[in-house]
Amino acid sequence: MDIKNKGYMGKVMNVDLSTGKITIQKISPNVYKSFLSGMGLAAHLLYHRIPADADPLGPDNLLGFVVGLLTGTGSLFTGRWMVVGKSPLTNGWGEANCGGSFAPAIKRCGVDGIFFTGISPTPVYLYVDDTTMELRDATNLWGMDAVETENHLLKKLKNRNARVACIGQSGENISLISGVSTDKGRIAARSGLGAVMGSKNLKALALAGTRRIAIHNKEEIKRLSRICNKWVQFQPPFVPGFFTAPIGALMRIMPAVLTQDGLLYKIMLRKWGTVSLNQMSVEMGDAPIKNWKGSNADWGFFKSRSSNPDGFTKKEIKKFHCYSCPLGCGGICKTNGKFSQTHKPEYETVLSLGGFIMNKDMDTIFYLNELLNRAGMDSISAGHTLAFALECFEKGIITTRDTMGMELKWGDPQAIEFLIKKMINREGIGNILADGVKLAAKRIGKDADKIAIHAGGQEPAMHDSRNDPGFALHYSVDPAPGRHTNGAGLYYEMYQLWKKVKNVPKMGPAYWKSSKYKKNIKHARMGKANSQYMNVINGAGVCLFGGFLGTKRIPIFDWLNAATGWHLTPEQYMEIGGNIQTLKQAFNIRHGLNPKDNRVSDRLLGLPSQTRGANKGRSVDIDTMMKDYWELFGWDSQTGIPSQKSIDKIASIT
Amino acid sequence: MTYFILDSCIGCGLCKTICPSQAITGKKKELYKIKADICIECGSCGRVCPLSAVEDNFGLIAQRVEKKAWVKPFFNLDTCMSCGICLDTCPAGALDSNTQKIGSRHVFPYLPDEFVCMGCQFCASDCPVDAIIMVPRIADQSPTTLKQES
Repeated sequence: MDIKNKGYMGKVMNVDLSTGKITIQKISPNVYKSFLSGMGLAAHLLYHRIPADADPLGPDNLLGFVVGLLTGTGSLFTGRWMVVGKSPLTNGWGEANCGGSFAPAIKRCGVDGIFFTGISPTPVYLYVDDTTMELRDATNLWGMDAVETENHLLKKLKNRNARVACIGQSGENISLISGVSTDKGRIAARSGLGAVMGSKNLKALALAGTRRIAIHNKEEIKRLSRICNKWVQFQPPFVPGFFTAPIGALMRIMPAVLTQDGLLYKIMLRKWGTVSLNQMSVEMGDAPIKNWKGSNADWGFFKSRSSNPDGFTKKEIKKFHCYSCPLGCGGICKTNGKFSQTHKPEYETVLSLGGFIMNKDMDTIFYLNELLNRAGMDSISAGHTLAFALECFEKGIITTRDTMGMELKWGDPQAIEFLIKKMINREGIGNILADGVKLAAKRIGKDADKIAIHAGGQEPAMHDSRNDPGFALHYSVDPAPGRHTNGAGLYYEMYQLWKKVKNVPKMGPAYWKSSKYKKNIKHARMGKANSQYMNVINGAGVCLFGGFLGTKRIPIFDWLNAATGWHLTPEQYMEIGGNIQTLKQAFNIRHGLNPKDNRVSDRLLGLPSQTRGANKGRSVDIDTMMKDYWELFGWDSQTGIPSQKSIDKIASIT
Repeated sequence: MTYFILDSCIGCGLCKTICPSQAITGKKKELYKIKADICIECGSCGRVCPLSAVEDNFGLIAQRVEKKAWVKPFFNLDTCMSCGICLDTCPAGALDSNTQKIGSRHVFPYLPDEFVCMGCQFCASDCPVDAIIMVPRIADQSPTTLKQES
């Protein structure tokens, strides 16, 4: 057992798929102290290793599977693993995040990350245990879906410690909206990194290591975990699912907003999971309806009631906890139809295959959730692409001649199922749609680009930026655009950073709703703090929902110090987070992206503003917010480009 | 300092069979060796060695323990938080989760096949809330009966 490195393993594995050569590379402790592990380490390695003109689907792209610094140390909420690479969807920084039990498996192989370059001549999978590291033939696995692949590999390996991450048919077919799947249906979906894995002819990773992880102060970590767990176990009785919609409606009507405490959201997550937001979000104006054109007025209580969270708990066979998570927001549900069970659909899936395309048939959503999980396709992007196709059909841009005779009507389960199956197999119209809305609009032409809603090529998630302008900011300024987990005004309230970190804006107990839309440098300061903290969270491998508990209740900074033996202050960790953000932005600049191109489509910004519904008359001044955000980071306020001096300073760390 | 096999080894191969991390190499009737960089210090080689030929990480001779007397995990479900750290930390992969329900909590660890467990105690030492107690499993006494008695 290597006891020099505390908390992290100090090595990464490099796999050259073209030659089949596998090497272990040592990483200096200074890199960990400057970028943490996980996403920070990946930003450091990818910035240096991917050449500027690399084709995302070519041999030069680097595909990394990384794990956070705190994973495996006894700290809680640390079951996240991340896939990184140059995204074929945005042509810039690509990242996807996933839970399950795969995160510690990477660390137990003795490394903090596994990086793939080159392209294998034949389909292969990587097998690693304590004594073996090898690429094995996966020709017989090619064509199988993610669940079949995982079952097949686990049966074949006969190793109780083995954990598998793989791609389904969608990744094999190099669909740019595909992800990497694990635990029979949990998926690192965003940024189209499943397509990168497919382009490398890499079907799966099977990891079966048993290494121990050295920790500086195990007892201190346990003590902190126990305090954190007490907050998680605090679960008073909560209202039935029926009442979530009226609560949302009340939040819509009130002119002021109470600053939200994440503990309330934790109670809902524990009771129902993310589906607790299904009706509430629609009612309060957080959920986009009908390709961002509609509102709660089009998708009222009676239409959304089939997505009542209680309906999901009724179908739940058992809860699903990711590694080291005492919360357990996931679940395994029984389904009617072809598949006997599925992972409980998340809020994003229910909305993007539900209200977003005006579909209220829950059986279809359960079935398509499993179908997409198995194929390894991102349900957020798939929902957007469906909505795009439906609106194109409505406007006559595509006709039955393009759709093999299928009438595409809003909310028609048959049409939705038809399109998704075609997209997975890339047949007919599916071949046009399978790469996301931006490319689909380009292929279709005829003004279709006005209907294609995206941020820099990636489809934004199911949180309306007209309700929370913080989402618009992060969809637009983040190096991986369109991701909802990178920050929002609401997240800032729940993180409660001001209780631990100096020099961040404080929030009072309540504020006027109208203040969210007024010009104020505070919004950009909150955005900066969000980005910095999220990079620390991703470097530590902590779950976003853990972060929602608030910095006082989830001691991420203290855990990091106890695991590694460092004595860094929260402010220093935030600075590390900022450096990671600058490095990711520098990655995009290096690869020829213009940060201004990542600005979200006008529909999300309320340009023109809606005439009815929760977000009536609202519009977001994104340009000012973006400029303020860039300026606060010390980047050029007009172009969003970090100064060469600051890039050199961060990039020279070795 | 890691585990080490002394010259008194007769090469029976029991330690190689039980080692969960494949850290032990050697041929039958020859001296076996432990690869220090792979060894996870679970101590199972010492517990099976019939000649007490294994030195532990403190430099002490590891004592052979009868398989019947090996300690096995007993889970205190009142304090368990279902985080699954024990499931991952077990080098033998002996633990699994069930669907028992206590209050608002589901999914608890259990030991489906106690012969797979090597009694390394990693699950107990890594549990953040100390919900695992290691006790020897006495014949005809299953974990459930132990719980009822306690």
